[in-house]
Formats: sequence, C-alpha cells, structure tokens
Amino acid sequence: MPRSEIVFHTEALVKTYHTGGTDVHALGGVNLDLYARELTVLLGPSGSGKSTLLNILGGLDHATSGLVEFRGRDLTTLSDRALTRYRRDHVGFVFQFYNLVPSLTARENVQMVTDIAPNPMSPEEALDRVGMSDRLDHFPAELSGGQQQRVAIARAIAKRPEVLLCDEPTGALDSSTGVQVLEAIREINEDLGTSAIVITHNAAIQGMAHRVVRFQDGQISNVTTNDTRLKPAEIEW
Amino acid sequence: MHALDIKLLRDFRRLWGQALAIALVLACGVMILLTAFGMHRALDDTLAAFYDRNAFADVWASAEKAPRPLLTDIAQIDGVQVVEGRIEEYLMLDLPGRSKTATGLALSLPESGELPHLNVPILRSGRLPAITAPDEVMISEPFALANGYQIGDQFAALMSGQKRTLTITGTALSPEFVYAIGPGSLMPDDQSFGILWLPQATLEATFDMSGAMNAVTLSVARDANVDQVRHEIDLLLDRYGGTGAYGREEQTSNAFVATEIAQLKNMATILPPIFFGISAFLVNMVIGRIVALERAEIGLLKALGYTDLHIAAHYVLLAGLTALLGIAIGWATGGMSARWMAGQYADYFKFPYLIFNVSYDAYAISGGLALATAALGAMRSAMGAARLPPAVAMSPPAPPRYKRSAFDRMMHAARMSQPTMMIWRSILRWPLRAGMSAVGLSFAVAVMISVGFFSYSLDAIKDIAFDQSNREDTVILFAKERPLTVLDEVRDLPGVLEVEGELYAAVKLRHGHLEKQLSITTRGAEATLARSIDAQGAVVEPEGSGLLITNRVAEVLDLRPGDPVEVEFMTGRRETHILTVSAVTEQFFGLGAFMTRDAMAALQRREPHLSVANITLDPTQEDAFNAQVKNTPLIASTVRVTDMKQGFTDSIDENISVMNGLFVVIAVLITVGLTYNSARIQLSERARELASLRILGFSNWDVSYVLVGEIMLVALMAQPLGWLLGYGIGALMANSFSSDLYNVPLVLPPAAYAKASLVVLGTALASVMLVRRRIDRLDLVAVMKTRE
Repeated sequence: MPRSEIVFHTEALVKTYHTGGTDVHALGGVNLDLYARELTVLLGPSGSGKSTLLNILGGLDHATSGLVEFRGRDLTTLSDRALTRYRRDHVGFVFQFYNLVPSLTARENVQMVTDIAPNPMSPEEALDRVGMSDRLDHFPAELSGGQQQRVAIARAIAKRPEVLLCDEPTGALDSSTGVQVLEAIREINEDLGTSAIVITHNAAIQGMAHRVVRFQDGQISNVTTNDTRLKPAEIEW
Repeated sequence: MHALDIKLLRDFRRLWGQALAIALVLACGVMILLTAFGMHRALDDTLAAFYDRNAFADVWASAEKAPRPLLTDIAQIDGVQVVEGRIEEYLMLDLPGRSKTATGLALSLPESGELPHLNVPILRSGRLPAITAPDEVMISEPFALANGYQIGDQFAALMSGQKRTLTITGTALSPEFVYAIGPGSLMPDDQSFGILWLPQATLEATFDMSGAMNAVTLSVARDANVDQVRHEIDLLLDRYGGTGAYGREEQTSNAFVATEIAQLKNMATILPPIFFGISAFLVNMVIGRIVALERAEIGLLKALGYTDLHIAAHYVLLAGLTALLGIAIGWATGGMSARWMAGQYADYFKFPYLIFNVSYDAYAISGGLALATAALGAMRSAMGAARLPPAVAMSPPAPPRYKRSAFDRMMHAARMSQPTMMIWRSILRWPLRAGMSAVGLSFAVAVMISVGFFSYSLDAIKDIAFDQSNREDTVILFAKERPLTVLDEVRDLPGVLEVEGELYAAVKLRHGHLEKQLSITTRGAEATLARSIDAQGAVVEPEGSGLLITNRVAEVLDLRPGDPVEVEFMTGRRETHILTVSAVTEQFFGLGAFMTRDAMAALQRREPHLSVANITLDPTQEDAFNAQVKNTPLIASTVRVTDMKQGFTDSIDENISVMNGLFVVIAVLITVGLTYNSARIQLSERARELASLRILGFSNWDVSYVLVGEIMLVALMAQPLGWLLGYGIGALMANSFSSDLYNVPLVLPPAAYAKASLVVLGTALASVMLVRRRIDRLDLVAVMKTRE
C-alpha cells in the first residue's frame, strides 16, 4: 500500500456542540492522516466522535478549531458555497439509513448526482457496479434494505469521487445483506482506487480494512494496520 | 429531465389533494380578478366605442319652447363643436292587445329627414320615417322586441289630446338609451317604455312648436370647460323656460352604466387580495410542513453537492406548480365567466354590439399575482430549507418544546382530559399558526357576510321603498302641472279609491361651492300613500318652511339640520331662495328633498299645483281605468308601482341568488383549503403521537377528537373575527355600491352571521372528517417504526 499520497490531514481537530446550555466535546483534538486508495475503518462506540469526524471531512459540518486539509487544501476556511462545490466534486456519501429519495426510482436517485457532477459515469453503469442493473426502475419502497444501500453506494460512486465516506453502511442490515454491501465498497476501493472511510461500531468489519482507527470519547485511542485483510465474505456478525 | 425535476413532479402528484385545495383558493382570486377586469373592460370599451361612433353628446338642455335660431348663439359658445335642437315629448301609448298604458319618449328627427349628427341611432331594421309621412315612426329595438313588433305594425299614441295611429318603419338603438328608464320608473321596462323617432314636422305640428325646439344637445371640444358651457347655455335658455343644462354624468342612461362600471372596478380591487393573502398563508403552511418532513432529504441534497439556490428553488417551484394549477383553473373559469357576464351585461344594457377584447394584461396581472403569492408563501420555508446546515438537516429535529404556563394550571384546575389538553397545548405551542388559520377562516365567514347582506338590504329596500313609502298602486303623471282641482278629475276615473297629489319642482341646491340638481317633492298634509320613511321605519315629514333632505344629498352637499341651503328653481319664476334644512332622512333611490305644499306654494307665489297623483285602484276596475286613461289628455303617463316592485324583485333576486351562490362556493373553497391542509399537516405531525394513543388503548374516536377538536376549536375562534370583518367589508361594499342613483343600506340581521358561520363550520367539519378517516387506516406498527 503506497503511503505517499495524503488525502485527508487533520491537526488538533476540535468540535464542540452547545446544546441546552452545556458544551459537548464531540472531538477533542484529533490528529490523523488518511491516504489515497486506502480503505480505512473508523471503529468506536456511539458518541465516540467518528460520525462528527466524517461529517467534517465530508464538508457537512464545520470544525470548532484545528486544521482539516483535503489534498493540501484547508477545508476550515472554505465558505458554504465552496464546501458545496467540494462535496459535489470530490466526495461520495453512504448513510446508515440509505437516504434514498422515496419518490425517485433507483436510476433517478443515482441521476440526482450525475445531473450535477462534473465527470460522472452513467447511472446504469454505477448501478451495474453494485449489481443492481436489474432493478433500475424500482422505487426504494420496492427494494430490500441491502438493495437500497447498494443503490446508495451507486449514487455515491457515480460521480467518480476521490473519497467515499460511509457512515454505518451496514448498521441497518442483517449479516448476509451487510456482506453484499461491504463487497460493493471493497470493489469500488480496489477497482476505481477510491479512498474509502467506513464508520462502524461493528468490530467484525475491521478485518477488511487496510487500517483501523479506534475512537474513544472524541479521541483516537489507537491505530492498527492489517497485514492480511479479510474478504467481506469471510466476515460474520 | 433532471432527477430533481422528476422529484418535483412526483411530489406534486403525491400532494395533489392539498395542492388542489390551495389552487382552488388561488383560482378564485384569479377568476374574480379576470371576470371583473374583463367585464369592466368589455363594458368600458363597448360604451366608449358606441359613444364615439355614434357621437354621444356632452351636454343636454331642455326648455319649454325656444326658437331654433338660438342654436346659432349656442354654437358660438366657446368650446361648442356640434349643436342640435330637437323636440322631445312623452306620449301616452295605447298598444294593441295591452290594456295597461305605455309611455313613449318622442324625439324629433332633423328636418332633412336624415339621422341626427349627435346621439346617432343605429338602424337595426327597416328605415327612418319619411319626412312627408306624418304617421311613420322608428322605435327603439328593445321596445319592439319586448312587444313583438314587426316593421309595418301599428300602435296608437295620444298626441296633444289626439289619438293617432303610428306605423313602424324601423327599429334602432341609441347611445342615449343604453339604459332606458321611463318617467317615474326605477327600472327599465321595455314593454311599457320605448323611444319613438318621428319626423320634425310631425312633432312641430302636433305640439305647436313650429320653428321651435324644447331640447338641445351638443358636443364640446376635448379641452372645453363643460361647466362654463353649461352656464352659458343656461343663460341663453333662461327666458325660454330652460331647466338647466347637464352633462354626461347626469345623463340618466350614462349615469347608470358608469355606476355599474365603477362597481366592477371596486369588485376587482376589494376581493382578490383576500384570496391571494389566504393562498400565500396556505402555501406557507404546506411548504413549511413539507420542508419539515423532508429535512433528511434536504440534508442529503446538500451532502450530494446541491447548492442552496437549487434547494430553495425546488420548494418554490413546488409552490409554483400549485400556482400554475390555480392560474389554469382561474384563467379557464375567469375567461369564460368574463365573456358570459359581459354578454349578460350587453343584454341588460342595450348595446348594439359587444366589444370583448381579451385583456392580456388582466391575464398577465392575475397570473403574475398568483405566482408571486405562491412564491412569497413558499419563500420563507424554502430559504429555511436552504439554510439548514447539512449535518443538522440529516439529524432528526429536536422535539417541539412545550412549556408550562399559567394556562397549564388552568387546564389542570378545569380537570381537562388528556386529549383536550393536547388540543390546547398544540394551539398554544404554535399560536401564530393557529392565529393565521383563524384569520384565514374568518375571511371565509366575512366573504359570505359581506355579500350576503345584499339580499337583506334589498328586502329592506323593498319593504321601506315600496311597502311603507310608496303605498299607491299607480302614479299618474300629468302632462303639465295642474292646480289641486285636478284631483277631482282623477277621482272621477273608474276604479279610483284613494287620491293624493305631489308636485315635483326641478331645482339646483347649493351649499357653499357644492351644487346638486334634483327635484323637490311637495306633499299635502293629506298624504298617506306616499311617505318618507327612515331606515328605522319611522315616518319623517317636512315641517314649516324647512327642507327635508335625504342622507345622500346631505353627504354630497355637506349639509346638516339647521344649515341654510340655496334653492334655485329651474322652472316657473326661476327665483332663488334660502331655505333651512329641517331634517335628514334615508332614501334608497336617487336624490331627494321634500317640503310642505303650503311652503312651496308660498315660495312660488301661486296656488298649490301638482305634477302627479298617487292613487289606489279597485282591481276589478283596472281595465276600465286603463281604457279611460288612454283617452285623457291631461295624463302624460301612468306608472304601476306594483309592476315596478315586481320588476325590481325579479331582476335583483336573480342576480342576488347567483351572487350569493357564488360566494357560498368561494367561502367553502377557502374553508376547505384551510381546514383540509391544516388537518393533513396535523395528522402528519402527530401520526406517532396519535398512533401511540391508539396503542395505549384510546379508541379511534378519542384519537380523532384530538385532530378534529383542534381544527374545530380554531374554526370556532375564527367566527367573531369573521363577523367583524364581514361587517367591515360589507360596509365597504355597500358604500362602494351607493351612488346618486341608489343607496344600498348595510342590513345585517343575526341570521346573516349565523348562516355564514354555519356554512364555514359545516365545511370545516366535513373537511377535517375527510382527513380523520386516515386515522382509522393508521398502520400502528409502521408509524411507530418510522424514523423521525
């Protein structure tokens, strides 16, 4: 795994929420580098700060203090408009609850992205990559949870993003459908060279990562590298 | 098509019920605007074209008998362009097959035998009477149609005491008689009143007017000072018994049409803003809810890289589609109703043609307003959606914050049930929303009241103007003023039971710089048939030498009881006197002033005279009476008060019931728009809450009570405001419909309020019950699983 190309670089990253008069420290000074073509699993219990980090990396949220760089570009100084541009051009998101638009078919959900991305693949190709070519014109309500999540992945990769950010992609799925989804993520990472960051609190998934970053109370508790990676099919929970 | 556009269309289809409810309210605004504008423009254009093409005069003047050479002097008045003299006489007509009398206004045609240069009649059939044929006549088309006359038919006219048979040579329409109203009548009656054009020679010979005229019409230059022209004509005609020149605004036909046109304009400005306002609120409410429901989708769109503008535009467009639907419905119905109504008006007013130009500007304005309304309504929610930070949008919203207040303690003290408390808390939690809904509903109530008052007003008018003020069966108009002894002659006519006389004196009333031309009515102490009644039903009579005036006159001349008023008589000795206003009374038709017969006789320095006699008739002797009247030269015409009342009732009742029906529909649409949408939104917001209640063991009815209760409570709260608004808008409408021609009183009995409230509350209940059915179908498990 070449480590020369840094995609994300954070330094002393802090995020504090003010709710109901009390401060919640979601991130308490995170220093982390993430590399191109790497599949990283962020592991940790609920509230440990992984989703907050993902949101900030993805340009969905602002850091309270510290530095976040995407390929050397400081994200913390970007305006909302520039962040929108950044998300549109570089980032693919996959969410726990798929977040498909219920009134659009699988193809149209993917088209939502290809409509505005600069150099997208066709919705059909994206869906083909996740094995959904035979469900192009189905509405989300007509798809199983796993199928919906695969459509969500197709939607995320259709723009050929540089990074794929997955927040608990298997959190709402049973083991066997979860495996199909992980398979799709691994293929994208390997075939397209897209950096993938997968959040999970399911420790079983860490086996498929190049690197595993563990979170505890808004801090990185440890980082490990897998010398041998498991195939998703070998994972069970 | 872009995926976002596809989403837009699918969302719109899913929301069709709510969108339609909003669209219909918007459509009402668009429709009323188009109809009122379209009719206004059609009437205005048609009238302008008719006046222009047929040289409608600018000034009219009458005299007893003036020499024709005076026309040269009049022509030299600064600003006068064309002047014509003519002979005008009211004739009693004896129509074949009709026992009742009819009246004709005879107008002389120019000596040349051609059409006049001013007020040119449009020949509709046949030809002009030949100058050499003294018994040929051209008649107004409506009179011919109403009586079924063909060219060549004949009827008799009492001319200067002589009964002559006239032969119809043609029919015509004149710009002077677009609204043709007979002497002493309140409404046009084409069967009993018509215009007769006769050769000049015929009228000169019959009425001893050789080389003379008794009426002058003229046109003036565009920049002429009409008041100055009138004044100079008055000076010239003074010694020939001139009765005062008047302009277009006092010309009866024109005054009626102009009033109607002004009313249409009022309608176009008072009502549509109400509909647009309610629509904006509805759009705001619905889009606000959709944005709340689609919070996660908005977050997703932002995560995918859609810009704020994209997202705001998406929701504004959703409102825009609703507006387009409303505009389409409004344009379709408005276009049709404008054309139909204009046709009705063209029929009511006697226009030879109708110019109905599609007013693209009205379409553009109404469409633009509807779009702007929807955009405005959606804007706040759309901007809010666009501004949501993506990470916040994707997380569930915080639960609404309810606060404990003094009201909670009251609710506890009142031992309210939990569902009742839920209703009250929800209203208190969103007081603005509840308040706006109530205001919207109050407009539905107000719209009904503000139009519904017309039928009560007209009942009051009928009761006071006919049943109480004018209790005579028939009014006999004398050919010229007669001394009191004429009443004996009237009493001798067959079937006459009661007789009393009145004198009308044409005067100019002046107060400071204000001036008004009208007739003073004088009555004897014996008068019991014709009386002045105020709005409360009390008899008000003139006293001493004072002048009793109607409220409209008081308003126009800024007069109060005790004020001095200058009275210039236009007939007789033509003297000017200063009188004192003794009292002000109400009158629904025209302008009026009253004084006692003795006071008038003293002013005129002659024995009391009469212009008309009011009589009651033995119904069994009516035919004999009519037959005798047709052969009595002292009588110019008769007016059947009972027919007039019937005519008034018929023509008004039809319009009123159409209008009332229309406004019930409008009130229903507003109510449905508001309550249906409110209920849908309530249900969507509270689905979990209501399902939880069901799971806890509350019955379907208990749960429905929360939904229905809140909507109906808001509807109830809307009523008092609706009554108040209705009264206000009603007063505005009554005022805008009142003119010198008629005075529309604002009469609103409790029933008017009750009816409006019943319709609105009933509709609200029906709408919310429609939504309530969804509670029965709630999938309890699915609802509880739905992620917030």
